[in-house]
Order: sequence, then structure tokens, then C-alpha cells
Amino acid sequence: MSNRLFAAFSGLMIVAMILSACAPAATPVPPTQPPAQPTAKPAEPTKAPEPTKPPAPTATPAPTAIPKPKVVRIAFPQEPDNLNPYYSNMWFAAILNALYINTSLLEYNDKAEAIPNVAKEIPTAANGGISADGKTITFKLRDDVKWSDGTPLTADDFVFTWQMVMSDKNAVVTRDPYDVAVDKVEAKDKTTLVVTFKEPYAPWQAKVFQNVSAGSGALPKHILEPVFTKDGTIDKAEWNRKPTVGFGPFVFKEWQSGSSITFVANPNYYKGKPKVDQIFIKIVPDDAAQIAALKAGDSDIGTFISYEDMADLEKLGTLDLVKTPSGYQESWIMNLSTNSKTAGHPALQDVNVRKALVMAVDRDKIVKDLLEGRTKVSATFWEGTPYANPDEKPLKYDPEGAKKLLDAAGWTVGKDGIREKTIGGKVVKLKLRYATTTREVRKNVQAIVQQMWKAVGVDAELINHQSDLFFASYADKGPIALGQYDIQEFSTNPNFPDPDIARWLCKEIPSDANPTGVNDQGLCDKDLDALFAKQTVTVDAAARTKIFWDIGKMLNDKVYWNSMWDDPDWYATSKKLVNLKLSGGTPFWNAVEWDLKQ
Amino acid sequence: MGRYIIRRLLQAMPLLFIISVIIFVLTTQMGDPLSMFGGGRRALRSEDRIRLTRQLGLDKPLYMQYVIWLAGNDWMPIDADADGKQDVDENGKLVYGTRKGALRGDFGTSFATRQPVMDMIKERLPNTLLLMLTAEVVIIISSLVIGLVSALKQYSVFDHTVTALSFIGFSMPIPLLALGLIYIFAVYFKRWGLPYLPTGGMYDPQVGQSWQQTLWHMVLPVTALSVITVAGYSRFIRGSMLEVISQDYIRTAKAKGLADRRIVFIHALKNAALPIVTIIGLDLPFLLAGAVVTESIFAWPGMGRLFYDHTTRSDFPVLMGIMMIISVAVVVFQLITDLTYTFLDPRIRYD
Amino acid sequence: MQVQVREIRSRFTLHVLRPTGTGMATVTDVFSPTAEETLTKEPLTPAQLAWRRFRRHKMAMFGLVLLAALIVYVIGGAFVFSEEFANFNDVGIKLLSPSAAHPFGTDAIGRDILARTVYGGQISLIIGLAAVGVSLVVGVTVGAVSGYYGGWIDSILMRFTEALLCIPQLFLLIVAAKYLSGKIPNFEMFGRTFSGSVIIIILIIGLDSWMYLARIVRSQMLSLKEQEFVTAAHCTGTSNAAIIVTHILPNTIAPIIVNATLGVANAILTEAYISFLGLGVRPPTATWGNMLENANRYLETAPWMWFFPGMLILLTVLAINFVGDGLRDALDPRAMVE
Repeated sequence: MSNRLFAAFSGLMIVAMILSACAPAATPVPPTQPPAQPTAKPAEPTKAPEPTKPPAPTATPAPTAIPKPKVVRIAFPQEPDNLNPYYSNMWFAAILNALYINTSLLEYNDKAEAIPNVAKEIPTAANGGISADGKTITFKLRDDVKWSDGTPLTADDFVFTWQMVMSDKNAVVTRDPYDVAVDKVEAKDKTTLVVTFKEPYAPWQAKVFQNVSAGSGALPKHILEPVFTKDGTIDKAEWNRKPTVGFGPFVFKEWQSGSSITFVANPNYYKGKPKVDQIFIKIVPDDAAQIAALKAGDSDIGTFISYEDMADLEKLGTLDLVKTPSGYQESWIMNLSTNSKTAGHPALQDVNVRKALVMAVDRDKIVKDLLEGRTKVSATFWEGTPYANPDEKPLKYDPEGAKKLLDAAGWTVGKDGIREKTIGGKVVKLKLRYATTTREVRKNVQAIVQQMWKAVGVDAELINHQSDLFFASYADKGPIALGQYDIQEFSTNPNFPDPDIARWLCKEIPSDANPTGVNDQGLCDKDLDALFAKQTVTVDAAARTKIFWDIGKMLNDKVYWNSMWDDPDWYATSKKLVNLKLSGGTPFWNAVEWDLKQ
Repeated sequence: MGRYIIRRLLQAMPLLFIISVIIFVLTTQMGDPLSMFGGGRRALRSEDRIRLTRQLGLDKPLYMQYVIWLAGNDWMPIDADADGKQDVDENGKLVYGTRKGALRGDFGTSFATRQPVMDMIKERLPNTLLLMLTAEVVIIISSLVIGLVSALKQYSVFDHTVTALSFIGFSMPIPLLALGLIYIFAVYFKRWGLPYLPTGGMYDPQVGQSWQQTLWHMVLPVTALSVITVAGYSRFIRGSMLEVISQDYIRTAKAKGLADRRIVFIHALKNAALPIVTIIGLDLPFLLAGAVVTESIFAWPGMGRLFYDHTTRSDFPVLMGIMMIISVAVVVFQLITDLTYTFLDPRIRYD
Repeated sequence: MQVQVREIRSRFTLHVLRPTGTGMATVTDVFSPTAEETLTKEPLTPAQLAWRRFRRHKMAMFGLVLLAALIVYVIGGAFVFSEEFANFNDVGIKLLSPSAAHPFGTDAIGRDILARTVYGGQISLIIGLAAVGVSLVVGVTVGAVSGYYGGWIDSILMRFTEALLCIPQLFLLIVAAKYLSGKIPNFEMFGRTFSGSVIIIILIIGLDSWMYLARIVRSQMLSLKEQEFVTAAHCTGTSNAAIIVTHILPNTIAPIIVNATLGVANAILTEAYISFLGLGVRPPTATWGNMLENANRYLETAPWMWFFPGMLILLTVLAINFVGDGLRDALDPRAMVE
């Protein structure tokens, strides 16, 4: 019996050892090189041995003839979910598109100006690109553009992409604008693309074959059409996870799930060969790890740097902090629904109460102390763009004024220090449900605001939901969509750089009949609706801008929206990385020009 | 014996069914997978939400979704364009679904990454096994050694110290331990110029992936995982060993004049180790689950993190896939452990 | 019977002693009453016997003292710091390292960490106790019913219990926390506001750990229900429920108590893990666990933010484990029959 025990025991240990020895072999080994690419092996040591290497000899010494490859390393705190631009809405996936699938017709530079990319020039009424009735736009494409495997990039690729997006067999993330605004997309010849709209469509520049929202330019027809024919869908195409054939300054090389994504330089890019050899994306678990990587010099670009970390990073002297307008505004939306099922606190129906709530909060102090004074309170939702009304200013911090407004509105301070009012025979306390997501900075702001409101006699119940619950729709019983809040705080901007937004439209109010509506504020203001309807069909940029100025003023006067702070995207970039011109819409648009000082 | 095995496997069927139903109901109702399509940064438009709900099968009633998950839909004609009529292809034949169902090994596709769930699991499983099996080997060896010496030198200084440390060990919250380890060995060692351990990940991108890198990066996570478990197991072995030592047959062996070493290793240890085999056998399938907290802190791309990341996105195909694989493994390993036990202890017999 | 055998030849010395469990009690037995005592005094009740055994267990007494100190800390601390002070935030003094004014430093929006650990400790301890309460109620009921009635009731309940045991504990907790998140609103008690997530955490931890208790109670039930005193109770016409509650359960108290005590430690640790992952108790309620939540980002810059709550959790769990170990020895049924 003892022998058998020993045998069983040893057997168990041996099996365990075998399994653990087998496991490394199962992890992905360095992949084969793509054809005709410079041999930049990631395994080659580039610097003198660092202390992190274990004592055992690590790699063969590099022969002096080969120059060290220039690798730009970026630490991402979130892993992209999919590398096919039509199957992902994630910022961390979209930002990479400019590297390997830069097939958009136009692109946006760091001054937020549109410049041509695959299209030879921007279509205007003057050059005949836009038809007289505004419903047809003709794009002339460059004739020198090729996919990374040498196949020419033509208008057929764009038509194919449109067909794939509109096909019911493909569960793409969004069909915007093709399902609502576009009538058809045709290729007159290899370099002429004609897009016909149902009505003149003002936001076409930012939306049609443009990679700022989900979606992008063209997908490779010669790769994906066979997949579609064979499988009936491109949802599961291998290209979605391994886009080895692309169009951009870099070519995708490999993706190790949970660890890293690698891109190598494309010598055949139409703008020329990139100066750096490789871009290496390392997936780190969270922001803290990203900051640690930046401090240690392991990452050259950091994204979404939060305000607390900026001072530390600047002190190092090796990083620059760069701000790009993103169109994101940290905002307050107050529940104005009058439907009994989704209604907010009755006090919010009074515009003076809404004003008082804003005046009671010292937003400048929050920006100065919590956000290190590196941003500001916005005046309108379109802060930093031409669509912002220059005459509007944020409400000033004025707790005494707030108290007066509340008193005048009939909310008097009760025995417990909280205001109350008798409505319909019952005493109603001014206690508001203040809901937001679980991000730490928002939780902190909630605590600060709660304290400031207490000083003017307003009580707050703090609610935090995980993001996917917060943004869940009425159909999915999302608490915000169901109106279970009085004030919500979040940051979003759906169409940047286009100013259009659907959230304040009457027809977007969610209900049983309309379970996917996005107007969770329950707001229906006929005048506001009319202005929004007008801007959609106003193609003339100057006139459209004027309409948005009026919209901005109305939103402020009636406190339908309130700014907490302007939320630009902050990057930390290594001083060794030169020619980096980050833009708001497509940050990596000029990756071909990047260079690394050694 | 054969009949016993078959009976156990049959008994396991309703068990697995119950588990799958419980988890399915919980995971499908816990959130909205579509709301995270933007990674939280952009909300979906209404039109896209309606379309995606239909295309991804989320508009079907719950029991229907379960049936499709279990048995697939390639025996059901589908209606992808929602015109109320079932689809036909160019030849006029009905178009059927493409899913085979969990019973045939197809756990569907993740809503977040659009990858088949099995592929995602296959990518991450080796990483978790590497970490957990190494930790398990370290744990087994350490607990045996510590428990044994502790029992033999009962009430000595070594024993008291080890006991105190063990209690501290298994009372420690993992975040404190892991963060403390990183703080000392990664941050401070670097400051003091000593060779330092990395803060996370599986390898250093500048050096590239190699087995030395992986080994070096495994040191801290394995330590964090082992400390707490070794603390518990070593006390268990100690107790078990003490009980065995006090038995009559050990006294007899002693009286017969056998050497201590022979008594300890050949007679005592084997009997004391029986309960440990049970515990290890029952723990093994949970190794597949990885350690969520440890993997999060050390950025180890394993199953635990896969599970957590996809919970926050309400991505229930992935969650169902992981849970079912682990449950099946638990059932199988319980059976194997019970069978192993009959080899080890002839007093136990199953009909 | 004590035998000590020393072999000077080898390094291994084998002490063959009467086992006294895993405690550090000395071998000489002071627990049984002396001859004198037996004749002159009332026999000691089992509870008193247990207490005596417990007292001799040095680690357990140390644990008890430590636990008492921690309870004084969280309750007494509430008299030193008001809740207003604990929640008072001033972003201007954020992230200060420990000093005379703030012995544990300040957190990301300037709240005093010492005061927050006091109030956080109250919630953590309450969660620990309440979660064990939930698992006691469910576990004992399921185990008792299952063991007593047997048959198909037993089959179904045990299948269900095993099903839940197949699922890794943390996974089940994560899924349950996500499922219930946001479903219970904030509530007020004793003039203080608590987040609804406290109730959620109590429920899910409790419902995640009742299975072990159920199995213990069931196995005890199976062995006890065949005893004569149960048959006698049947004969006198006592109802099933009364038999279970008044006759059988009291005899299973010992393992239940030990399991429950260790369960409190486990619940506190679990709460820490869940909160660390971000699925635990939400603001405005503080707990030791959710003070660890964003510790990663402050690993280097503000280690006091995670060190103090972490140490408090460690000390509490340690104390409970010591006490539980002592209870296990003290309530060991073999020792009760002296």
C-alpha cells in the first residue's frame, strides 16, 4: 500500500511538472516575419543588460552591422476588443486604425482641420465635388494607393465596405450614417466614388468613410469578400483579429491576447516610409501600471493621464504633457421628465432651482484642487470648437445668491438644515439623487459637491453604477434610462468633431414604445427641437455654426445642461519622440513622421 | 468499479444542468452587453441598438436563448433581416443558424471581441496553468516540508514561529500581500540599486518573450499565491502528522527499533498525506479559475482576469464558457480523487 | 499515557504524546476536576469546561484581547471622531502623509484616514457578522432538513449544494455582485445613511458560504437522528420541528460555532477582495475593503492609503482565527467527556 501511495503521489507531482513544463510551449512563439519587411525582431535586446533580466545569459549579442531598431512603445490600460474598425466602438481600438488601416477619405490634423487622405481633395461645391442640390458628393481618389500586399486600393473597396455594413448578416457596431442618411454608394470607376444622400447631410465630412466614430474607411475587398462568400458573414473573419493586410504607415504583425500588439513599418506607404521601425502596444492592467511604465521609461506615449499624476510626470523631465481637444465635457444632466414613471425631483422643474444648484458649487475650486488647475469650467457643450458661442460664460460660484433663489422658489430651510416645501399637502425635502459611474475622480467630486450643497441646505443621495449599467438602455432596465436619478454626471460626445447630438430631441425620449431612446433627461422643448432639426440640413458651415450658438445659449439659459469641467484628452509623450502631432479626432494621423531620438 | 464510475457520471449530468441554468440566469440579467460597445466612451445610437439586439439574438425570450446556447441553432431556420419571414438563400433553401451549442463544444462568440469563446479561453488557459501549477508545486513541497518539520519538532521554537507566521499568513488579505511585495521587491529594491523584480506582465517588451523572462516575472505572483495557501496547508499537514504519530502502530514501529527517519517517511508520512491528496485533488480544477485578484494586480493575462474583464462588460457567453469548463473539471476531478483514494486506502471501497 | 523517547543517534527525535489537538496546551491535565472537587463542588457545566480549556490556550486569549481592542477602536473611535469629521473632505489637503494632525494621513480628497478606518471598521465588522448570520440561517436550515428527512428532499438539496460548490467562490461572488448592483437603494438607520450595496454584499457573501455549514450540520444530523433520545422523543409525540430544534441542534453547536467564527474572518476577507475589484460597497459608505480599492494607483505615492486599512484587516482576521482555533480545541467533543 505504501508503494502505491508513493507511486500515486509521485505520479501526481510528475504530471504537474509535465503540465507546467508543457505550458510555456503552448504560449505563442515569436511569429513568422511578413514578407518583404525589414527584419526587426522584437526579441533582440536593444540596450545594455538591465537589472530586470535574470542572472542567466539572455540573448546573443547583436552584431554591430545591424542598426538598433527604433521601437515606439505605448502602454494601453485597456485592451482593444477588435481590430476591424467596424466591429469596435472602443477608443483604444479606434486610435490604432490610423496605423494600419488608414483608409479614410479625409483625416483631421492637430489643428482639427480636415485634410485629404485617400481622397485627392476635399469635395466642395466649387470644385464640383458637391452637387447643386447638396445630395450627391463625388470623391476623386488617389491613383497611387496600394494595400500592403501590393493590391491597388480603389473605389470598389469602398463600395464593398458599404455593402458589408448594410448587410443583415454582419453585426457591425454601427451603420451610422449609412442607414439613415445615405441612399447609395457607387464606384463610377476605379478612382471615383459617388455617395448619394436622401437629404442634404451636414455632418458628412466627419461621418462618411471617416475614422473618428466607429467605422473607418475601406476594408480590403480582396481579403474579406471570399470570407463573406464562404461563411456568410465577416463577423468572425480572422482578419478582424489579425489584419495582416492593411493600408497605413505600419503593418500589423502580431497580437498576443492580454499582453501586446505589434506593428512594423510599411516601406510601401504612399506618404513614404516611416522613420521608426516598430510600434509596440503593451497592455497594462490599469492606469497605475501605465503611470509606472511612463516613469520607468518603459512607455513613450501615455493616454488619458489623470490630473493627479501630471505633476509627478512633469517632475521627471523626460515627458511632455500634451492636451488635445476631444469634444468631451464632464456634464450634469438634470432629470426633467414629467412622466410619473421616470420623473425626477419636482424642484428641478423650476429653472431657478437648477441655477441655484449650479451656483452653490465652487467648480473653480474643484478644478484647481482636484484637477490641479489644468483644465477649466466650460461655457458651452461645444467648448474649444467653432460651434461654441463666444458670448456665453459659466455661472459664477455664489452660495448666497443660490440661497436667495431657493428661498424665492419657496424652498425654505427646515429644522434639520435641509430645505423643504409643501407640495400637494405633503412636505417634500430637497434631497436629490446624484448618480454617476464608479470612476474614482467622479466619486470624489460627488463627496465634494455633497458637502457644498449641504451648506445651502440641499441634501444629496450619492449613487454609483458600473459603466455598463449606467449606460444601459430603457429596454435593458438601465437605471438612468428609467429615470432613477435627479442629477447625472458623465462625459460623452458621440460625433466629434461634428457637433450634432441626439440627446435633447423630443423623439429620443425612452418609453415602452421607444425603448432605445437616448434622451434619458426626458426633456421636450419644441424650440430646441426646431433648432436641431434645422442644423441637420444646413450644409453651409457658417450658418450651421450660428444655429449652434443659439442652441448653446438656450441650453445655458434654461440650465438643460451644465458643465463641470472641460475634459480634453491628456497625453504624456516622451521627449525622445519627435514630430508627434496629436489631433483630437485621429490622434495618430501623422505616425509616418514620428521619429525617436536615441 | 466501472458501474460506479458510470453512476457518478450520470449523477453529474443534472448537477451540471443546474449549474448552467443558475449561471445563465444570473449572467444574462446582470447588465446590458450592448451598452459597453463603446468601451464606455460612446453610447450606441437607437438604430444600432435595435439592430444589434436582433442580430445578436438578445431579443429572444430567456429560455430560447438558453436552448440556443445549449443546443445551437443550426437546426433552426433564421430570420436575419427581421422581415417576419424565414430567410432563403439564392437556391431557395432555408438558411439555418451557425451555432452548434455548448453540448457540442461551441460556446458562442463573445459580444466584446467577436471571437469564438473557445479560442479566447485557449489563448488564456496556458498562462493560468503555468502560474497556478507552478504555485501548486511550490505549495505542495513547501507545506510538506514545513508541516513535517513542525510536527516532528512540536512545541520547539521553530514550531512556535511557524505557527505564528502561518496564522499571519492565512489571515492576510491578498491585496495587502501583493502590493506589499511589489512595493518592496520592485519599487524599493530598484531605488536601492539591488536587482529588482518586475512590477507585472509576463515579459518585458524591450527584451521580448523568452522563458527566462516569464520565469522572472512569475516570481512575485507565485510567491503571493503560495504564501497564503502554504500557511493553511502546512498547519493541516502538521495536525495530520501529529495525529498519525500518536497512533499505536507508530509506537510499535518505534518499539521494534526502526530508525526514526524510516518511521517518519515510510509509515507516518504516507498516511498523513492521504487527506492532503484529497484536498489537492479537489483544488486542482479550481486552478483553472486562476486567481482574479492576483492576476489583476500583477497584470498576468490569465483566466481570472478574462473572467473579471468580461463580467464588467456583461459578456455572458465568455462567462458561461469559463464557468462550465471549470464545473466539468470539478466533477471529473472529484471522481478521479475518489478513485485515487480507493487505491491509496484499501479500507475504502465503492460498489 | 505519556511516552517520551529520545534517540540521540539521529536528528529526528520522536515524541509520542497524547494528542491535545493543535493548541499549545501543556500536557499535564488540569481540566478534569480533582478528587476533592468532584466530591465537594457542583460538576462543571460543558460551557464552563470549555471556557477553562479556552483560557489555557495562549494564542486564543491573545486573539480575544486583540479582538476586544479592535472593537473598542471602531466603537470608541466613533466617540472621538464624529461621522461629519470622517466624511469631511477638503481637496486642498489631499494625500498628506501621516502627521500629528492626521496620524494616518489623508486620502485623495483630503479626508482623514484614521477617522475613516474607524467608521469603515464598523461597516466591515457588521458585514462580517451579518453575512455569517445569513449563512447560518440558510446553512443550518438546509443541513437540518436535508439530514433529518432524508430521501428525495435530501437528494435535491444536496445536489443543489454541490452545484454551488462546483463554482469557484470568487467567480460566483463577482457575478452575483454585478447582478444585484444598483438594485437596492440607500437607506437610513440611526440617523446615518448607508449605501444599499452593504445589504447586497451581506447577502451575497452569506449566500456564498452556507454550503459548508449545511454539509456539517447534515452529517451531524445523520449520525444523531439514530440515537435513542431522538427515538424517545418520537415516542412521546414531539413534532419533527421541535425534535430538530430542541434536541438535535444543541448537540451540533460545537462545529457550528467554530465554523461561524472562522466564517466571520472569511467574510471580512471576501469583502476586501470584492471591494478591491470595485464591485463591493459603494460610497458614501466606507469599509476597510473599499479603502483598498484604488490602492494600486497610490502604491508608491501614498502607501499609507492602503497600508493602514490592510493592516487592520490583517489584525482583525488574525484575532478571529486565533479565537476560532481556541474554540475548536475548547469545544472538541472528545475533551468534553472527561
